[in-house]
Amino acid sequence: MYPILFLSFSGLITLFLGFFQEGKWVKPATILFLAIASISAFIDWNKPGAYFFNMLQVNNFNLLLSLVILITAILIVAISDNFKEIEYAHSAEYYAIMQFSLVGAIMMTNFQSLIMLFLGVEILSVSMYVLTGTDKRNLRGNEAAIKYFLLGAFATGILLFGIAMIYGGVGAFEIDAISGTLASNQAQSLFLYIGLVMLLIGLLFKLAAAPFHFWTPDVYEGAPTIFTLFMATIVKTAVVFALYRILHQSFQNMHLSWSYILAGCIALSLIIGNLSAVKQISFKRMLAFSSISHAGFLLLGLLHVSKTADKSLLFYSVSYLLASTSAFGVLLALKNERTENGRSNENISVFKGLATRSPFLSAVLIISMLSLAGIPLTGGFWSKFYVLTDAANDQFFYLIVLALLLTAVGVYYYFKPIITVFEKSDIQEAITINPIFKIIFVLTTLGTLVLGLFPDLLYGMI
Amino acid sequence: MLQENTALIPDMIKQIPLVNYVLLASILFVIGIVGVLIRRNALIIFMSIELMLNAVNLLLVAFSAYNSDPNGQVFVFFIMAVAAAEVAVGLAIIVMIYRNIRSIDIGLLNKLRG
Amino acid sequence: MLSQFGFILLFIVGAFLMLAGILGMARLLRPDKPNDQKLLSYESGENAEGGSLVSFNIRFYVIALIFVLFEVELVFLFPWSVVFGDKQLIEQTNGLWGWFSMAEMFVFIFILSLGLVYAWAQGHLDWLRPDQKVNPFKSEIPSDLYENINKKYS
Repeated sequence: MYPILFLSFSGLITLFLGFFQEGKWVKPATILFLAIASISAFIDWNKPGAYFFNMLQVNNFNLLLSLVILITAILIVAISDNFKEIEYAHSAEYYAIMQFSLVGAIMMTNFQSLIMLFLGVEILSVSMYVLTGTDKRNLRGNEAAIKYFLLGAFATGILLFGIAMIYGGVGAFEIDAISGTLASNQAQSLFLYIGLVMLLIGLLFKLAAAPFHFWTPDVYEGAPTIFTLFMATIVKTAVVFALYRILHQSFQNMHLSWSYILAGCIALSLIIGNLSAVKQISFKRMLAFSSISHAGFLLLGLLHVSKTADKSLLFYSVSYLLASTSAFGVLLALKNERTENGRSNENISVFKGLATRSPFLSAVLIISMLSLAGIPLTGGFWSKFYVLTDAANDQFFYLIVLALLLTAVGVYYYFKPIITVFEKSDIQEAITINPIFKIIFVLTTLGTLVLGLFPDLLYGMI
Repeated sequence: MLQENTALIPDMIKQIPLVNYVLLASILFVIGIVGVLIRRNALIIFMSIELMLNAVNLLLVAFSAYNSDPNGQVFVFFIMAVAAAEVAVGLAIIVMIYRNIRSIDIGLLNKLRG
Repeated sequence: MLSQFGFILLFIVGAFLMLAGILGMARLLRPDKPNDQKLLSYESGENAEGGSLVSFNIRFYVIALIFVLFEVELVFLFPWSVVFGDKQLIEQTNGLWGWFSMAEMFVFIFILSLGLVYAWAQGHLDWLRPDQKVNPFKSEIPSDLYENINKKYS
């Protein structure tokens, strides 16, 4: 709860910091604010309770989630490099909007009342619409922004209709009340079914799970890379845990109804995500499709209501966050390498000859790709392992077979950048990397490897 | 199902059964969805989305009145405020695009292809 | 038996049927020969110039957006005003409730006004004026020479 209050005010302060000394202090101040917010989360440690008239629920697991989100945000802010890729950048505004969007993300993970879920989703989404369209003169950015906005607002409408229907069926917004009503009545009202389906559609839209994924590749490609990273990591984590709270903590008695919807979405996400990623030339577009398939895996962890679902989901999120941050970060570090029409080249071919030019960057890229593909000794392997173990029950056995088959397809396209790294290129000069980038890359890569070698460090701790 | 607490519901509202409100809101909502799916003008899509949000507002107020629970009406205030913020951002995006391509036909935006 | 609302429905349906009937009949009876002159919009006998969709100056749009945001946030004043004047609560707390709710609303409005201050400081509220351009060119011919010529031929 304290990070929410703190970030709301620090965002305002960041806005006005932009006026002093040409905004020189904005980036360090943002990192400081995020660090203070992470520490302030510990005020509530071991003190579970409800805040704001039973609107937010705080317990240790939720605090851990807030921490994961905030720490990822610190990593992203650190590699943002004052948004040099954007023309006419107003960096103070972007940092402020990022802090506001984190408020939304934390609200989505800690909500108790569906009102808070809606507010969190909207704070996060509206911030992301703005950030997607920040490159005002870039037609691709414009297209991404309008697509994201129109489809996102559409999804919000559906989500709201679902919430209204659930309110009609239960008569309250609190998720405890929903599970109470479900437990006491055997025959459920039609309103609840309609509401749950609509709510699921709205959230799956935001998660970019198939068949509600069609905006994802365009938006990921068109948005500035740093905000694509933000979308792929923080938005996804927040939505998954919002789904977790809804499905596992309030609608667990209707498991039979929602598990079939979810199973269909998982199968489609895995197939569409993995098969479409194979033929992509653009690295960002490939990662967009890969994020769809990862959404499928995350949903796989939600499929079965079990005691370990929260652990596996958190493990999956953390390893995905680390690997994505390295992958997008390498692309950001190379943004000045080759340009086309004044925009940086984002095709996979930009990695050509990276092995001789910068062994460090190529190692970072290779480890992140291996982790995304789920190769052993990286965090990605264990995250897939835990999620699949959770989902392994007789009812949805075919899904696990499908997931394993498509992981093999995944290996093919994740190896494409790795092979490109070792290809020969005409340019031989070494690449200089910003020291901040180096620190972040060391952290994320080490994190991926530690999760791969000692998974119990995180999995056992939760 | 809702407990229709007859004593607390004002007589005016009681004359119409709840189902009528739900149907009206659903019809408005579906009109909004169809508008989003078939129109190409960004502004009209935008208006359809607003129609969807307002259908939800109607639904919430109806449930709230029949349930004699003020929470639903408070939620409507939040939806209104958030919708205004969304409108501001959306219009800004549309104006930005209009400045660049002199049109708001979303069919013209096809730079991003796989 | 129809209820009160049934009559309204009947009325609406009747109105639509009437409208369709009259317009349909007119369509059948009237000659239909459109030409360019008939399709012009009539503006007091003048021919219309240019498109009817003129774009407004962009500065109206920024101010309108800021206005919409601040106007809609005031919707939260309505639920507040209901509890602000709650006599029971005021009596229970010896009038402290009034001050408390007053302070809360001022905090809310203060945060809103911070947004306005930011827009102001960024210069979004400034009315863009065309610059008065001073021509730096200095003529070698003295200006009274022109005046003399003007006098001579006036």
